[in-house]
Amino acid sequence: MNNTLYTMGIDVGSNFIKLVLMDCSGTPSIIGRHTEKIRKRNPSQVAEEMIQSILSANNLKYEDVAYLASTGEGDLVKRKRGHFYGMTTHAKGANFFFHDAKTVVDMGALYVRAIKVSEGARVQDYKMTGQCASGSGQFVENISRYLGLSIEEVGDISMQSDKPEISSGICAVLAETDVINMVSRGISTPNIIKGIHLSIAGRIIKLLSSLKAESPIILTGGMALNKGMLQAIEEQLQETGKKFIINTSPDAIYAGAIGAALWGGYRHMKLKEKEAATV
Amino acid sequence: MSEAKEVIKEKSMLIQKEMLAKLFRELSTAKESGKKVVYTFVPGNLTELILSFDMLPVYPEINALQSGMRKKSAAYIRDAEKIGFSEDVCTYVKCDIGMMLNGNSGPTGEKLPAPDLLLLSYTGCYTFMKWFENLERLYPGVPVAMLHTPYQEDGKITADQIAYMVKQMKEDVIPKMEKVSGKKFDLPRLSKMMENSAKSEDLLVKILESAKNKPSPIDAYFAGVYYIGPLFTAFRGTQEAVDYYNELYKEVQERIRLGLGPVTPEGELKEERFRLVVEGPPNWTNFREFWKIFYDMGAVIVASSYTKVGGVYDLGFRHNPKEPLESLARYCMGCYTNMNLPQRVQLLEKYVREYKADGFLINSIKSCNSFSAGQLMIMRELEQRCGVPVGFIESDLVDPRYFSYANIKNRLESYFQMLEQRKIILERESQPAQ
Repeated sequence: MNNTLYTMGIDVGSNFIKLVLMDCSGTPSIIGRHTEKIRKRNPSQVAEEMIQSILSANNLKYEDVAYLASTGEGDLVKRKRGHFYGMTTHAKGANFFFHDAKTVVDMGALYVRAIKVSEGARVQDYKMTGQCASGSGQFVENISRYLGLSIEEVGDISMQSDKPEISSGICAVLAETDVINMVSRGISTPNIIKGIHLSIAGRIIKLLSSLKAESPIILTGGMALNKGMLQAIEEQLQETGKKFIINTSPDAIYAGAIGAALWGGYRHMKLKEKEAATV
Repeated sequence: MSEAKEVIKEKSMLIQKEMLAKLFRELSTAKESGKKVVYTFVPGNLTELILSFDMLPVYPEINALQSGMRKKSAAYIRDAEKIGFSEDVCTYVKCDIGMMLNGNSGPTGEKLPAPDLLLLSYTGCYTFMKWFENLERLYPGVPVAMLHTPYQEDGKITADQIAYMVKQMKEDVIPKMEKVSGKKFDLPRLSKMMENSAKSEDLLVKILESAKNKPSPIDAYFAGVYYIGPLFTAFRGTQEAVDYYNELYKEVQERIRLGLGPVTPEGELKEERFRLVVEGPPNWTNFREFWKIFYDMGAVIVASSYTKVGGVYDLGFRHNPKEPLESLARYCMGCYTNMNLPQRVQLLEKYVREYKADGFLINSIKSCNSFSAGQLMIMRELEQRCGVPVGFIESDLVDPRYFSYANIKNRLESYFQMLEQRKIILERESQPAQ
């Protein structure tokens, strides 16, 4: 008899949709993962195609999945059974990567959110960047596009910097103007990108300070895959004299989806227990 | 987004609608009927004094917010910017100026009359002075009466300050009103109006304090500015206002008796999940959409600072028929934006505690210095003193360019999630140890 407890978590972001298929029997593990850029497509349809594709790839039917949970813009996922808030799922996802996670920094397309979590991955407190886009992944993407880089290569290029040029850390529009000016002054691309990373890192450090963050800090979300960003945060932390352990995972972009799948599994078990008690 | 449902209205809301429509009708025919018109402001308004001369008040910031709700403000602001107003200028001002440039058609579509008197009754907001300088240029020759309102720098209203304001009323404001209206100042009439004012104020406080009930029968922010507060400004001192507030109070009492939540445009709030105190003005251009985010989350605002711009009556102030001018002076100096920052923190702390709020939220307005200055400090203080989750969102009064639905929703979702988490923690802590 197959004891596998399949759950799925789908995280509908503003740029990407992230989907994981997990086995939540015993120690949870990831069976499949899938990311799609939404571009100009209908996110609801993209999500549905992704669900179908991951099921087919694993020879599964929708009925084989005990719980499909959404997070992010979950309203767009038609076949979900339940929805979980983003902070809850990122906290759980980070806890899946590192069980001792005390602070999670969710670095998404629209904002950065620092979340204090308990041992059981429960949200204790949070701080979020202001409304301006200068603290967001979308901002890095816009600057990369202007410099003719793909988002995948900005991390490595940033790490080649020898003399970073700092841009405005307050306003995305001012920062873009700064970058245009830097290009015309002949500042190298690595130094511009590193400057951008440092200005975002400065905002993240401010969030961590006001949150009174504790170590270890786990980075999640799309921007956590950017090695240049990680380096900039570590450098900024060194400057402030704060000694934090910072970790991330190659699956950082799936943190929300993983958290949703895990909470989905938990809810499924609770429902089963309730049913059994009723019988 | 789903299609908006038809707005549900209580009897009091319909009465209000009719009263406001009547006022705008009267304004549109003021020149024919010979009624004189006074342009003035909501904070520190001298409504009873204006009405005692049988003049009609026009509140430019109310016109601006109405234009915002009716999706007309964007074009008005654009026209004001075309003639040189900066993007950073208060959007109430730009909307108002834009409306005047476009023929001064009021919120109901009826033309507003030009002012016979510009009464600057509150100077706590520096923008107000500049606003009236602009109106003076738009309406050359119209007399201006300026009542300088001392700011509560030391957190109290002194006898000297009251005397200073009364002197200005006697020597400048009242003589100008006499001249414009052609009527002698009638002190007994003013006193009589203040009896009505005090009655309305008693009722208003009872209505606002009904939010201490669980569930709260009212929303003290959205509904506070939508149908509980507005009449107060233009009609305070009249029997009509007393009747209106009596009717509203009856409705509120009935809701309490039935254990009902507040009425919202989406229908009645069935389950009160979160109780919040909100600081700062609301956004008007997307008012319903903004309110709906709270409704969807089961959040009710139990107290707010913006509803105190027209007077902080819950701290005990009442217009006094025995000392009419002195109480007008106290009133002007006592409004929320004339209080210093420690007083504001104290008031908001009192609200969080007395209304048993789960959280404190600031809606910071891009173009309002009067409110925005000090808000981050206020937020930190409230967090430390009350230990409740605090949240900060940004929008604008009537400039739709500054309302970003996705940004606000993202931030509010995180905030509500925090509130929910805190509830779970508090419930767990309150359970007896096994």
